[in-house]
Amino acid sequence: MAALPGASAMELAAADGDPRGRSEEPPILATPNLIEGDEFRAIRVAPEREARLESGFTGFLDGAQEVRVVSHCDGIPIVWATVSAAVRVRQNRRLLAWQRHAPAVERRYYVPFRYLENARQSFRNDPRVVDTGRPDASGAIPSRHPAALLERAMQKVQQDREALEQTLADAWCGSESSALYIDGSITASMIASASSLAVGVIKSHRTLYAEGAAFRVVVGLTAGERSSVFRVSPRTRNPVASWYVRVRSASGRDALFGLVRVEAALTNDPTARSDEISRWIIAEGSPLALPDGRWDKMSYGIRDTEEFLRAIS
Amino acid sequence: MSEPLGRVVATERRPNTPHEFHFWTALDSPVGIGTIVRVDGSNPVNGQIPRVYGIVVEGFSYTDLQSPMHDVLGHDGSPGNAGFSITERAEIRLYSAAVLRQIPDEPLQPVPMGEVHLAEEDDVALALRMDSYLKEGAHTGIPVGVYRAGATDSTIYLDAEFLLGPEAAHLNISGMSGLATKTSAVEWLLSSVFTHFPESKGSIAAVCFNVKGPDLLFLDQPGRLDDRDIELYDKMGVAPRPFEKVQYFAPYTAKGFSLNTLRSNEALLHNVTPLTWGLREVLQYAEVLLNRDDIDAKADALIDFIKERVVDHVFEDRKYLSREHTVQSFGDLEEWFRDLLRGLENANSEAWRTHHIATIRKVRNRLSNISTRCAGLVTDSGTVSDLPFGSFEDRMVYVVDVATLEEDAQDLIFARVVSRLREHLERRDLGVKHLIVFVDELNKYAPTDGQDTYVRKMLLDLAERGRYLGLVLFSAQQFRSQVHRRVVGNSGTSLFGRMDADELATPGYAVLSPATRTKLATLEKGQLMVRHPHFTQPIFIRFPRPAVMQGRDGVERYPQGAETSLDVAIYRSLRSLDPSITLPWVQKFVALYDEAELLRARDATTLARPANVQAYFEAQFKRIVPTEAAMAAATASREDARAVRALPIDDPYGF
Repeated sequence: MAALPGASAMELAAADGDPRGRSEEPPILATPNLIEGDEFRAIRVAPEREARLESGFTGFLDGAQEVRVVSHCDGIPIVWATVSAAVRVRQNRRLLAWQRHAPAVERRYYVPFRYLENARQSFRNDPRVVDTGRPDASGAIPSRHPAALLERAMQKVQQDREALEQTLADAWCGSESSALYIDGSITASMIASASSLAVGVIKSHRTLYAEGAAFRVVVGLTAGERSSVFRVSPRTRNPVASWYVRVRSASGRDALFGLVRVEAALTNDPTARSDEISRWIIAEGSPLALPDGRWDKMSYGIRDTEEFLRAIS
Repeated sequence: MSEPLGRVVATERRPNTPHEFHFWTALDSPVGIGTIVRVDGSNPVNGQIPRVYGIVVEGFSYTDLQSPMHDVLGHDGSPGNAGFSITERAEIRLYSAAVLRQIPDEPLQPVPMGEVHLAEEDDVALALRMDSYLKEGAHTGIPVGVYRAGATDSTIYLDAEFLLGPEAAHLNISGMSGLATKTSAVEWLLSSVFTHFPESKGSIAAVCFNVKGPDLLFLDQPGRLDDRDIELYDKMGVAPRPFEKVQYFAPYTAKGFSLNTLRSNEALLHNVTPLTWGLREVLQYAEVLLNRDDIDAKADALIDFIKERVVDHVFEDRKYLSREHTVQSFGDLEEWFRDLLRGLENANSEAWRTHHIATIRKVRNRLSNISTRCAGLVTDSGTVSDLPFGSFEDRMVYVVDVATLEEDAQDLIFARVVSRLREHLERRDLGVKHLIVFVDELNKYAPTDGQDTYVRKMLLDLAERGRYLGLVLFSAQQFRSQVHRRVVGNSGTSLFGRMDADELATPGYAVLSPATRTKLATLEKGQLMVRHPHFTQPIFIRFPRPAVMQGRDGVERYPQGAETSLDVAIYRSLRSLDPSITLPWVQKFVALYDEAELLRARDATTLARPANVQAYFEAQFKRIVPTEAAMAAATASREDARAVRALPIDDPYGF
């Protein structure tokens, strides 16, 4: 790398550890802020087995990121990442690319210039390069520790991916009239979080809204059941209605098997809305998303979108 | 320019090569096994954008499912639940195509990535290299059928230079029996050849051996065609009409009264000619009828002696023969043998001119037996009625019906007719410049294993050298694997109808992809796979039903004439030459003459086809016609007349 004197190329094998990795938060329990009824309980929305349900989703939105440490310069990791997002729409039971908005793919370097005094100016000014050494929203600056720098790069990559996803979600809400299945939270977008067309489905449960008695309810949900609706309002994001749905039976499996958390816009009738959306999500469990390891929670539409992104990015 | 229907793909595991490439299509694309496609490259090579033509030889379809078990789990083990899935799995249609042609030809490179288009009519001509023989002023194409895919409807031509010589020649058809493929294809192709055979190449005719049933017996009668057939005829420029000029040949039945053919209905006898041979004709091909056990060196020597010194010569041997013999027929030969053996016995001699009496008895037995084994074809009298060697007509089909004959007689006819054709073509005096010989059931006449028969040797010779003479073999069989490989190997063009799965499992079909073999096993009537020297890969085509009456329809519409009495048989034979002849007129002769004399007179008349049939027929009896009074008496008491013997005209006393 001529732009970074002293940089040494990485062995490819060494960078193969987790090329698609994401920055993870520590697992925590949070108290659910109920907006449906007086107690947190399980509500059946579909039969436990052989549910033959309709789905109101016509679009599926997902994003992907691929991160590689391509070089080290004086011990500082130089990260190259590809972020992408796409919407796939269902027509005649087959999934196709959304014609109104092309899939988005962006590729960038993530470099902490604070610790790279020798970096050439042209490299610093390149729009494909993101400076990860700047203070974040809280004013924190990453230390020189390579792991901390890598963690900061991962956060930036994740933000870029979420930005792409948000753009597509907002575009959908502004142009379509049917529901969009979004892989992940919708709280980052003001438009999506307030739209009746956007539904976020979260598969990972690093934050479990099940503190206290709610815990037994959540882990005890059987297939076809949902929890009571509660309000999620992250500090820097937008508030939404949320609830848990057990898509598949967890009998003989771990407690979170087949469990997803749903986010939708706040509404005056959370019961009817959450019942309807829960049934849609259960319906999206067929066909199976295998061989993806998260097949118990993932809809086939999202798997298809991930495969699509893998092909184009 | 057509819309692309696919894209070339290549992976490290499945790369493209100069002879094979892969592409995917939409799920609803019209591509299938046998479809011809065109690939337009995107990067120029030597300043020219490469174009590659290929034919689909294999197809794959799969989804993103990793294990069938995943689908079972996904639908709770209930197939009925699958229909309720709101999303179909992603699915691919992936095809492999064999390269037909690359333009430019050099440098020969792996097929590039690019768009795949359905080949249009011009593309098909280029892909199959038909452009080299469909040129204005040098058009030697013979339509064989139509290639269809999507909206493309393209006539496929064979090159006459490679179908009928001299570059390559011969055609072989394989296919299951009973699917109206082999015979129909040959009938259609003969029509096409007769229509499109280039004028510059001269005249052409066909000799067809009808070896089973009534397959080829109604070539001059119109068949049933539907609109689709007519369209195909129009497209290929062939008139949907039966053959205008057909001549049939068939031996008599063993009794000799009527012709031994399913085309014996009186309404169709006008172009049926008896096929009869005498001693001379048969002795030339005695090898066909006598097996190795029969002809040892000693017997062979005696047969040679008879051929050279006895037949057609005035032969005398005062020591052993009681009189002079002029052997011209099997009857004469039998007389000669009988006289000779009696003489040897009288002289108490065991040898005659170095030939042992046992050998003489053996040869007598075998040769005399021929007229029995081939009764109806071989005449004791020596009457010869043959194909018109030397005066063959252009665009005429000569059908030799051997379907109901014994195997020996079939072999004899086959060997002699083909040998005579060859002799005449060598001398350039057959009457036509090119001749197609069609033989069905080739696995019977030229089998892979078994004895090396005369017929097989002759077929091998025909397959290997016939093209230089203009003698072309069109052959057919159910199982190509059972035909001598030098015969099928020398066939420049091969057609395949629906094939039996067992046959397709034989090594000869290993060059075809599994999908192509599957398609071959499921071909519909009217579909063929074609291999031709210009085509680098087999092509699937459709051909129309032949415009001739099918054998089964023919025998229903024209029932076979029943074996009749002698008078009716002669009446029918003569009436086909002269409609004014009546049965009573014939019966006058039947009452007076014996069977052999009558048949001899009939054969002579039908062979000569004289202008005045009655006079000619009567003239055959001239020396022995009775007086008018005797004739009148004979007619008056016809029942008794059969006992009356012929009276020499100059001997009124009847001595």
